[in-house]
Formats: sequence, structure tokens, C-alpha cells
Amino acid sequence: MDEGYGIVARGVCRSFGQVQALRGIDLTAPYGEVTALVGPNGAGKTTLMLILATLLRADRGEIRVGGVDPARDPVGVRRQTGWMPDAFGLYDQLKVVEYLDFFAGAYRLDRQRAARRIAETLAATRLSDYADRPVHVLSRGQKQRLALGRALLHEPRVLLLDEPASGLDPHSRIELRDGLRGLAAAGVAVLVSSHILAELEEVADRIVFVSAGQTAGQYEVGDLANAAPRPWRVKATDAAALSLALVDLGVSGTQNDTGTVLPAMNEEAAADLLAALVSAGVRVVAYGPVGGHLESAYLALTGDGR
Amino acid sequence: MTLHGVRLVLLQEFRMRVRTGRWQWLLGSWTAVVWIVAGLLYVVLADDPYNDDPIGVPLFGGLMLFVLALILIVSPAITAQSINGDRERGTLATLQASLLTPTDIVVGKLLAGWGVGLVALVTTVPIVAWSVVEGVTVLRAVVVLTVVALLIGVVCAVSLGLSSMLPRSITSTLLSYVFVFTLAGGTLIMFGLSSAVLARDNGPTRDDLVWWMLAPNPFVVLADAAPQLPVKRDSAGHVISQPDDPLGELGRGVRDIRRPPGEGCFDCYNDSGDYRDSHPVWPFGLAFNLALGIGALAIARERLRAPADKLPLGTRIA
Repeated sequence: MDEGYGIVARGVCRSFGQVQALRGIDLTAPYGEVTALVGPNGAGKTTLMLILATLLRADRGEIRVGGVDPARDPVGVRRQTGWMPDAFGLYDQLKVVEYLDFFAGAYRLDRQRAARRIAETLAATRLSDYADRPVHVLSRGQKQRLALGRALLHEPRVLLLDEPASGLDPHSRIELRDGLRGLAAAGVAVLVSSHILAELEEVADRIVFVSAGQTAGQYEVGDLANAAPRPWRVKATDAAALSLALVDLGVSGTQNDTGTVLPAMNEEAAADLLAALVSAGVRVVAYGPVGGHLESAYLALTGDGR
Repeated sequence: MTLHGVRLVLLQEFRMRVRTGRWQWLLGSWTAVVWIVAGLLYVVLADDPYNDDPIGVPLFGGLMLFVLALILIVSPAITAQSINGDRERGTLATLQASLLTPTDIVVGKLLAGWGVGLVALVTTVPIVAWSVVEGVTVLRAVVVLTVVALLIGVVCAVSLGLSSMLPRSITSTLLSYVFVFTLAGGTLIMFGLSSAVLARDNGPTRDDLVWWMLAPNPFVVLADAAPQLPVKRDSAGHVISQPDDPLGELGRGVRDIRRPPGEGCFDCYNDSGDYRDSHPVWPFGLAFNLALGIGALAIARERLRAPADKLPLGTRIA
């Protein structure tokens, strides 16, 4: 039943002394899709990533990465997993090509494959011009690309990325997004944790919300629109007529500079209200949800901001 | 452990070392200091009008004790940051998540550090060769160089172990120096105090009960491990007095300490005139030090094993 999933985790627990970091996380990440891991700071995202990357042992729970149990056969997991931690160091004194060559050796690529993969990685990360420059001259975005290229050097089927977008400029983020979509299209199971919700909305197929060490919900991004109600904003040519109509319909809106913010509704309810407003003769010029799907779902599920 | 993995880590560490420090300057000043001391030693010995013995023996002995002291001061700095330093820089976890085994990483790092120490030792080889020409036996030269090489390895291994156990590299460096000073000075202090305590009731000296406190001392190990000089005789078959021999005297000194009070020294020399090696001290000291080094490596390997059950206090794993 786990076939088709790069990552399966059920009831994963882990504590550090008195601190219970994970209290039963459930998560699945299918091959060919980008799964986003979303949650507030301290929710356990990094701990889970470390467990999946075979660096930390889980206290309890069932885990398969690429079909292999990381506690029983960590090497089997490492062979098919690429991992990029949230805070990482590069060997500053090495040249870019030496850095990649070192990890090609660490992943035991034979000479021919190493040469091919290093060339491909340099091209894919657009660092070919920097191949013989020391790593420390690279910009932050270039270092991030190099680290991602390093994680992909051995062509893993499962990719774990912990906050890969932090500190990147918009251009680099778009590039990262396109890169991840490309990997998913090639059949890789990508698990990516992030805070930047608007970004994830565009890149992720599935979203897993975690809060206080537990899974708060797993959704297909397409389903998310109706899963969580969110506030809507409406604007009409005549503000007075709009508020009158809203009172008639029994809806309490709060007026501000950008229009009138309506209480949280799912898409069906919002469409009904719009139809009612229009048939009441209100000349509506703008009508839409406030914030992204993800943001409202995040706030609803993690209990923050309420 | 794999040859491939060890070699990879070793070359990587070596490359990093060569590119970071001002190693040319360090190695240059090291060599200069050693050679200047050797030169001064030579001048002092050669100028002694009452000494017509070959000067190779005292020159070699004095120099090697000096080199050991100097190398003990330098060695902790070589590996005392190699694991927690990598943790601090965030480069260790990506290695642990690769196909390199903990043993690959530990052995590779040890050999890289040890190699640096051996390079320092190699700079003394020309002087050693010259001492051989001037009367030191080849066996003694080889044994002494080997023991120094092993002791460098022990200090590197213990420092590596400390760097795997302690989260902060500054703490592990400090403790590595504490370890070296305990070996070199602490053993002497312990022995001296214990000997004084034993001598309180004015009975026979019972240093033979506490000789083992001196055994781990690197200088004791080095001196006592140095093979005795071959006995020389004149045409009538009488033993000719030996040249000044710092290593031999120190070695004989600790063996005397080990000898129980009843056993006099009238039989120290056997019929052929050889000093009897009835109570060698160095095998215990060397074995003790090697065991410490191997133990430290085992701890380091355990600390690098992943998935980890525990995290070192105050560290983030990445």
C-alpha cells in the first residue's frame, strides 16, 4: 500500500529530554509530486526532516523513505535520498567543482557518472562559469543553488528540503520553484518545508500542516480552496448601497479603505452572497478572497491569529 | 570502514588544512626552531674540551626530547576542532547523511591530523641521519622516531575524541591541552607527591609501588623505549664508558624506580656487560597511551553514528 509514495510516516514521535518535539506526525509524499510541510516555528518540521534524512532516530512510529526503514537500513535510505538542511555550510576554501567532486565521492558515484553528473549539475545550477572559483565568492542564491545541486548529485528519488527559500531574492525563488516542479515532473518525491506560504501555493501539489508536533491536516492544493473558509472582500460603486444590502441579507461586514471585509465563507457561500448582492441591485466592482488559500488554511489549522 | 571513504575524507581534510592556515609559515618556523636548537646543542657539545666521545648520542637524545616537547604543544591544536568545528560550520551533517561511514570520517580526519604532525617530525630526519653518522645506532633512531610518531597519533586521537564529545571547539581545544599537560606534568606531580607520602615513616623508599604513575609520561616512554647503546670494549675486554646519553639515563632512572627495594643494582649489568632490562617501563606507558587513543577514536565514531539517539548537549544536528 506504500507503493507510489516516496515518504510514508505514521505516528512518528520524538522527544528531546522533557521536550516532546514530535507527537505523532502522519505524512505521505507521493513520487512525482511536491509535498509542502507547513507549520509555525517549533512545530517539529526540522526534527521530522532530520529523521527522514536518517540523522535522528524516531522514538516511535513507522517510517518508510523510498520504501526503506531509516532506522533499520539508513544506508538504503541515503542512497536514494537528497537532503538540504535549513542551515548548512559549504567548504569555503574549495572550488565549486571540487565541492561537487567531493560529494560525488561521498555518494560513491563511479568516475564516469561523477563527471557526467558534475557537468549536468554545474549547468543546471548555472554555475559553470564559477566551476573553478572558490565557494566563498558565491552569492547567497548561488550557494543555495550549489547546495541543492549537491543534494541532487546522486539522482535521488526522494528530495528533502528544509526552508530552501529563506533568504532568496524573488528571482531565485521563482527559479527554485521551477526547479522543484521539474524534479516532480521527473518522478521525484519532493518534500519541502517553508514559511513562505504564497510560494508554496504555487509549487506544491499537497500540503501537510503540522502544529505542535502533530499533523493538523493533509490536503491536495486543489481541495484546499473549499476546505477552509476564509474572509472575502467586496467593493461596490456605492458604498452606502452595499452596506444597506448587506444589512438586509444579514451579513456583518467591516468597512475599511480597500472595501468591505466579509466574514469567513467557503467558495459556495461566497458565490451565493455575490449573486444575492447583484440581484439586490448593488453594483459590485471587486469581489475576492482575502489572503491565499494556504494562509487562511494555515491560520485556521494551526490556531494562530484567532 | 572503506579505503575509498577514508581516502576521500583524508584528502579533503588535507586540502582544507593546506588552504586555510599559513602552513608554509608554520612549517618554516617549526623547522627553523628545531634546526636552531640542534645547531646550538651541537656547538655546546662540540666545544666541551673534556668530552671526546662521539657527540651524536647526546645531540640526538637532547634534540628528540626537545622535539617531543614541542610537538606535544602543537599536536592538540591539529585535531581538537575537527569534529565540533565541522558541526559549527554546518558541514558535518551533510557528510553523515552521505554514504560515508562514521569510521571513514573518524579515520580520515585522524590520518589527516596525524599526517600534519608527521610532516613536522620529518623535518628532523636530516638531523637524525646526521646523528646516526655521529654514533647513534640505526635501531635507536628508528625506534625513537616511531615512538614519537605514535605519541603524536595518540594526542591527535584524544583531541579528536574530545572534539566529538564537546559542542564547542574552544572547550575541546582547552581540554586537549589539559590532557597533554596531565600526561607530561601531571604524572610527575602525582608521582612526586605519592612518593613523598610513602616516604613519611622513614622506611625504605617504596617508589616501586607508584612507578606506574610515571609510565604514561611521553618523555619516559620515549627515553625508556630507546634501545640501550651497544657495549664497547677496549682490546683487553674492559667496558669503555659510554658517551653522555640523556635518553639512556632517563630510561635507567625510571627502571631503577620500578625496582623493588630488595633487589640491588650490583646485578644490573650481566656478564657480557649489558644493562639488564628486567624492569622496562615503556611498554606499559605506550600501551596505556595507545589504549587512550583507540578509546577516544571509538567514542568519536559512536558520536558520529546516525541515526542518533541523543544529541550532544546544546548542539543543533545540522
